[in-house]
Amino acid sequence: MNFISKNRIELSKTVTSLDRFAIDFTKVLKKYTNYVIISGYVSILLGRQRTTEQVHIIVPKMQLTHFRALLLELRENEFYCLDAEYDEGIYEQLLEGKTVRFAAEDTVAPFVDLKFAKTELESAAMDKPITVRIGKDELTISHLEMQIAFKEKLGSEKDLEDAEHIRNIAKGNLDAALIKKYKKMI
Amino acid sequence: MSFNKENMDERMKFIDIWSKYVLEHDDRVWSRQQNVIINSCLRSFSMKKEDYLKLKGDRK
Repeated sequence: MNFISKNRIELSKTVTSLDRFAIDFTKVLKKYTNYVIISGYVSILLGRQRTTEQVHIIVPKMQLTHFRALLLELRENEFYCLDAEYDEGIYEQLLEGKTVRFAAEDTVAPFVDLKFAKTELESAAMDKPITVRIGKDELTISHLEMQIAFKEKLGSEKDLEDAEHIRNIAKGNLDAALIKKYKKMI
Repeated sequence: MSFNKENMDERMKFIDIWSKYVLEHDDRVWSRQQNVIINSCLRSFSMKKEDYLKLKGDRK
């Protein structure tokens, strides 16, 4: 694992089926919008020894016509929405601040939990994204200070462990003041 | 020391040991082990789309 810069990490890991799912989904997504991956999957991507069935992704609010085009291409790439069938239904849920889930056809897990950035914190999560390069593929995660702040504030055993793992892996590459700042925002 | 505190301390100790292992070994080495856990867990999740939609009922 190489921390190339503040916003670039290089991994030469063997991708898991969860990584492959995230890569395939975001390959379509990034043609239409910026995004960041947040929450538990980030620590797993960086080596945490546990699994999850969900990949949380935040995107900026999109216009319906643009969003429709994204949905069309997702369907062409054999992803479907678990929560709503029609484009307007999916879009409405996102506008209401809810998450919508996407899985690969014929499966239910793993799934992407997609959300429009609505709160100040969610918008802040989209600032300073980190590109994680795995061979020829790339994933964009939110910066690690935000991950740590959020996880330590949530405080469950699993969340504290995720935060500890990220702290250990990224030691020397973290801004402690930024972690404090985000904890105050949460 | 309470059970919860002792339990949490042990769990954190494992986190420290494992993250040290990740840092000290080639990515392909630790990720091979990660693949075993993640791929087997996801494989065992057997619910299909049809079953899920039947359970959920109508979508919008």
